[in-house]
Amino acid sequence: MPRENFERELRRLQDDMLLLGSMVESALADSIDVLKRRDMDGSRRLIAYDQRINEKRFAIENDTLTLIATQQPMAGDMRTLAAILEIASELERIGDYAKGIAKINLMIGPGEFIKPLVDIPRMAEKAGDMLRRSLEAFIHRNVELARAIPLEDDEVDDLYNQVYRELLTYIMNDPQNMDQATYLLWAAHNLERTADRVSNICERVIFTVTGEIVDFSMAMQEA
Amino acid sequence: MLRHSFEQKLQALQGQALELGQMVDQALGASVETLTGRDVAKAQGLVADTCFINSKRLAVEIETLSLIATQQPVAGDLRTLIAVLEIAAELERMGSYAASIAQATVNLGQASLPEPFLQLIPDMVEKAQDMLRQSLLAFAQRDIVMARAIPPQDDEVDYLYDQVYQVLLGVMRADPYPHIANQAAHLSRVAHYVERTADRVINICEWVVFAVTGEMAELNVSEADRSYQSTAAS
Repeated sequence: MPRENFERELRRLQDDMLLLGSMVESALADSIDVLKRRDMDGSRRLIAYDQRINEKRFAIENDTLTLIATQQPMAGDMRTLAAILEIASELERIGDYAKGIAKINLMIGPGEFIKPLVDIPRMAEKAGDMLRRSLEAFIHRNVELARAIPLEDDEVDDLYNQVYRELLTYIMNDPQNMDQATYLLWAAHNLERTADRVSNICERVIFTVTGEIVDFSMAMQEA
Repeated sequence: MLRHSFEQKLQALQGQALELGQMVDQALGASVETLTGRDVAKAQGLVADTCFINSKRLAVEIETLSLIATQQPVAGDLRTLIAVLEIAAELERMGSYAASIAQATVNLGQASLPEPFLQLIPDMVEKAQDMLRQSLLAFAQRDIVMARAIPPQDDEVDYLYDQVYQVLLGVMRADPYPHIANQAAHLSRVAHYVERTADRVINICEWVVFAVTGEMAELNVSEADRSYQSTAAS
């Protein structure tokens, strides 16, 4: 396959990855939306939608491995292809978190929340924004952006800790609140883990472009 | 490349993945020891050492992809190589959990920790490590019976996790101050990292089954019946 064909295949893979990214991003936003609106049918639809995310990821993985096997790419291209594999897998896992939040909504069941949701939607917005920009960083080989995004994870962690403390006071005030508070805490946890996975994507962008190995996971514990 | 030379490379790669597994196993045990022993200096060392795990994983990955590129393996060999890729990725993430636990030790400093927590968390990590070792053995021996027997053991980890959660709630009820809540938040994350480690062991078991049979098994079967803790993340 001539070079330009390879380039075209690579671009197509990147486009597929971006498509997967937007599927996951909207699943995440929708999961919080149905949680807020206590929409049980919406949750069921989202749970079913996760299958399409999984299929898209496996299709990308398959195409990437096929390209590797048939084209025997050189070092730099190989790093890009390895990154696509990794990022597609991270995106699929973020899709699992969205599905998890949809399941949580079903487990809580219909009815008013013990408290209005404020910080959880904020977390989701922030995490979704970080996710979108991490993919931009990959497409544009923007190392500076990839280094900046994981630092914003502190905001998500701060919100998580706020949610955690607030829900605990609800439990302590009335043990009846325990189940719902725990469910909501797990929704918040899924969002926190989403931001962690965005940091993984950023680490991978830096490695792909510079060959440098960084680990942002430590910043996440500074709570 | 001759067939036997390919076999050798494949063997070598599997060996490297297993080495990575041992590194992660040690890091996990050591990270919890720094927490229970309040050894901040050692914890800082562990945090720094994560880079060895990360670079080992990337080395395994690039060699695996190179082997796919140069050998164009099919069927069972390709599946094994994909399993090596995936298992190495899972292991690296577990390594990150170990580093995060060590970082929690650093953040908690010398403050005294709830005694019941200190008793539960070593059991929890030992069980997760035990599952990890079994999964690596199952991979090395391509033993799908063993691989399928490991995921149900996750219930023990989940049970301990639930205990930890109750302990932390109790501590905060007894002592409702912000610094206690903050400490509890750190400790609950530590327990969560251990719980996630065991979940990732299940993923490894799934990749072992895939490598041997080509079947994408969902071994986290008891998930639907389990408490929200595990379901929420899936």
